[in-house]
Amino acid sequence: MPLSPEQSAAKAVRFGSWYFAEQVLRQMRVYLWSVIAYSVGSPLAYLFAMGMGLASLVNASAQNQFGGVSYQVFIAPALVASTALMSAAGEFMFPVMDGFKWRRLYFGPHASPLTPEQIAKGHIIAVFLRILLPTAIYYVIVLLFQASPSPWGWFSVLTATLAAMTFGLPLMAWTATLKNDAGQFAVVQRFIVMPLFLFSGTFFPLSQLPWFLQWIGWISPLWHATEIGRVLSFGYQEPAWLTIVHIVYLLVIAAVGWVLAQRFFAKRMNV
Amino acid sequence: MAVDARMGKPFASLYSGNARSVIARGLLATRSTNWLVMVSGFFEPVLYLLSMGIGLGALVGTVAGPGGQPISYAAYIAPALLATSAMNGAVYDSTWNVFFKMNFAKLYQGMLYTSLGPLDVALGEIFLALLRGLVYATGFTIVMGLMGLITSWWALLMIPASVFIAFGFASFGMGITSFIKTFQGMDWINFVMLPMFLFSATFYPLSVYPEPIQWLIQAMPLWHGVELLRELGAGVLGWGTLLHILYYLVMILLGLMLTTSRLRKLFLR
Repeated sequence: MPLSPEQSAAKAVRFGSWYFAEQVLRQMRVYLWSVIAYSVGSPLAYLFAMGMGLASLVNASAQNQFGGVSYQVFIAPALVASTALMSAAGEFMFPVMDGFKWRRLYFGPHASPLTPEQIAKGHIIAVFLRILLPTAIYYVIVLLFQASPSPWGWFSVLTATLAAMTFGLPLMAWTATLKNDAGQFAVVQRFIVMPLFLFSGTFFPLSQLPWFLQWIGWISPLWHATEIGRVLSFGYQEPAWLTIVHIVYLLVIAAVGWVLAQRFFAKRMNV
Repeated sequence: MAVDARMGKPFASLYSGNARSVIARGLLATRSTNWLVMVSGFFEPVLYLLSMGIGLGALVGTVAGPGGQPISYAAYIAPALLATSAMNGAVYDSTWNVFFKMNFAKLYQGMLYTSLGPLDVALGEIFLALLRGLVYATGFTIVMGLMGLITSWWALLMIPASVFIAFGFASFGMGITSFIKTFQGMDWINFVMLPMFLFSATFYPLSVYPEPIQWLIQAMPLWHGVELLRELGAGVLGWGTLLHILYYLVMILLGLMLTTSRLRKLFLR
């Protein structure tokens, strides 16, 4: 039985962001195969290259530097989190610009009863799922390499996805304010994403860096997620309050990013 | 007349001897792009060098360099990062950049309606990519010098050598791009480059792998680039060095043939 306009409007008010999330996920199907190939290929490549190849150099000379575990176990949580973060960087820049400017995919839904806040929320839900799944696949591959001894390791899938949101949501808010593409995304990739990947204690403990570079790790969602991941996946020793600080930091910035993203979406569309 | 001047030359339909106008157009277009984007390409290998060289280097200590003498870990990975950045730069410029110009801006179609031939376009585009690579390579080598990682005058040859490596990749990139029709197709290029970057003795010696895998990696172009620059950087040259150079000469030749024939097939039917 067809719905009356009032009924369908009421449904849109209640479930609108989920409808939009579905539509974003459907669009992602276009590159489903490259997502799958990447979410299997990239962990294999990194775990073989860094976890086994590089480990042969590192384990020989610096055995006690990695919280009492092998190098592969040490870097696995960092690799999981960094891949999640990089996917977020991709999903919250170009597609958001696409929604506002290139293909204007946000404007059709906006002409329906959906509000800009719901559109933002729908996009966020879709990206969350889009990152959660490959991160879980990554973790399964880590398990196959026997690089996550603790049964709590599964939770690092969630914390890695949370870190991806912590990084991605402020980026989404910022992208929503951009009127023109003049290569800003490439600049973000090179001057923010890349340094975070390299200076967040990913391949060695943050304390190995000189003090004037360590602050990059402290502000980096990736470092916080990596440290939590290490606690979860092999019982890395750190005070409990520090673990709480990591989680609170990730949650607070993600929440601020979410609110700002919704606000900027509304500002951009309600004109 | 341009057309008359081309008569009688063997490659007349492919090449009008005017690649410089493609280059001039490219340089002119560069002025209107974001300078930060241009500059950023230089930072990638430098950041890797700082992160891995300093942070990981403190844990690894020294490694056996070419010829077996011990060198610092930073000195070991620096040439490999330079080779990788030559590859990345050349591939980016000759794939994504060309993909846009080919499918969206329809730039080459316009060019080929003039007296320019496909080889003019290919050479012009490749020259631009190499010019950018030359600037980055010079900058990176200076950083290496400042970090005290250069011990031999041969290391200066890393600059032309990395342009040479970039030439090898650039000559192929454009030909391969011509086969790709969608954005998603472009992802596969990264998919090939990532393992090549990780496995080509970039961060640790090849001896880690079992022999069949070593052979496979040695068949890949990046490994030859890494070894070539590593040997030049340390000033330890041998017959192997010549072999690496030969590999790239063949690659450049084959790449140019592929790219030119693809462009002709696409535009000059």
